[in-house]
Amino acid sequence: MSATLQTTLPDTISGLLGLEGILGDVVGGLVGAFIIANIMLITTAIAGPWAKRKITAAFGDRIAVNRIGPFGLLVIIPDAVRLMSKELIVPEGVDRPAWDLAPMVIPFSALLGFAVIPMGSGIQLADPETGLAFAFAAASIASLGLVMSGYASNNKFSLIGALRAVAANIAYEIPLVITAASVVIFTGSLRMSEIVAVQAEPLLTIAGVSIPTWFAFVNPFAFVLFIIANLAEVGRNPFDIPEAPTEIVAGYQTEYSSIYFVLIYLGEFIHIFLGGAIAATLFLGGPAGPFLPGFVWFVIKIWAFFLFTQWARSAVPRLRVDQFLEVGWKGMLVLSFANLVLTAIIVGVIA
Amino acid sequence: MSEWIAIGAMGVVAVGLPLVMMAMSAMLRPSVPEQGKSATYESGEVPTGTARVQFNIQYYMVALLFVVFDIETVLIFPWTVIYRSALEQGASLATILTPMLVFIGVLVVGLVWAWRNGAVKWVKSPQASRRKTERKDA
Repeated sequence: MSATLQTTLPDTISGLLGLEGILGDVVGGLVGAFIIANIMLITTAIAGPWAKRKITAAFGDRIAVNRIGPFGLLVIIPDAVRLMSKELIVPEGVDRPAWDLAPMVIPFSALLGFAVIPMGSGIQLADPETGLAFAFAAASIASLGLVMSGYASNNKFSLIGALRAVAANIAYEIPLVITAASVVIFTGSLRMSEIVAVQAEPLLTIAGVSIPTWFAFVNPFAFVLFIIANLAEVGRNPFDIPEAPTEIVAGYQTEYSSIYFVLIYLGEFIHIFLGGAIAATLFLGGPAGPFLPGFVWFVIKIWAFFLFTQWARSAVPRLRVDQFLEVGWKGMLVLSFANLVLTAIIVGVIA
Repeated sequence: MSEWIAIGAMGVVAVGLPLVMMAMSAMLRPSVPEQGKSATYESGEVPTGTARVQFNIQYYMVALLFVVFDIETVLIFPWTVIYRSALEQGASLATILTPMLVFIGVLVVGLVWAWRNGAVKWVKSPQASRRKTERKDA
């Protein structure tokens, strides 16, 4: 396994601009980060005001937005303006700096995670040796934002929501990371580009069609575990107890209005896509795929994960909070350790 | 080094974007201060007291368990990274696998102990159980 180091996006940009050294790194990094952040903003803009409605409506046999533009797509623009021009209501007794910082921390953590994701077609901001660990670390910062928003809101629903969010994160973080570790046993590297490169090797050939060693094919059990833990991490059904609209109004975001609500919502959506991106990188060959360019495949894969979360939202009932913790600690944790040990033994015996 | 500069740049952009959006919203939005608006939401009732209350977190033991397991995942990662290359370089399976099996085994014993002690059990507050009236015979 030779390390095939592709040029990252900042290098390409600084090369195009003819800049070198630290200046090239900084300028290339900033421009590249801006491009990637905007890719994610556009994705979220399509997902939030349009795709989510359309998907939910399709499951409920309804029509949803269809007035402006093709398939109602242009509803995104008036919706964005509407959401941003809402009055910001500051409730009584909120803990001011924390209450204002929380809506920044949540999208920050999700966007930071995207810095190491290989999006194909040379779109990858950075490729550090510890890429996978960094992605998990960055995604975990969001819990801090959720606790800040919940505790600072001076609202009991928010408080319960924040505590539940922490419980969800600590219960499912370990299965998530341990399952990812079982993939690292195969790759022998935490570098994202190498994890993708390892999966390009052919697994077997059926009727002239070569199937790559995507770890979803090599170890489907780990893939299922990872997707379930991922659903819980991003707080979607059947694990959406931190928000549980029928129990605690909107959880930690109950007291947020105007742009603060938009930012929290945005952060959650980018989180879903980050979850999908990590799952795609670890298990679905990253941006690899036949015929189409890498970036298109990457978009297809993260949207597939988004569609899956929305499907689960429409089809699966929510767990009760004690069942939720039981599934995490007694089910997922044990299964993920069994998966790790079995993978290590099988790889060891075959090698 | 350059990759961490790029990640730092992402951090700057990820802070800047929310700030820009906040500034845009501040220019667009109205401000109509009225009394009743600023009360926190409590299903339409006047809120009783603040939310800074003592709250029975039934899962606080779980948080302690998490610390143990989280550190453990950090210790597992280096092992998974070198596992395959060590095998390819001729280290025997016993020397490379057994220590980690023992390590995970100790943790699993710890989890079983915590499980049997009820650390991952949903603790019901005695007060709430006393107040509960329905289905007492069950």
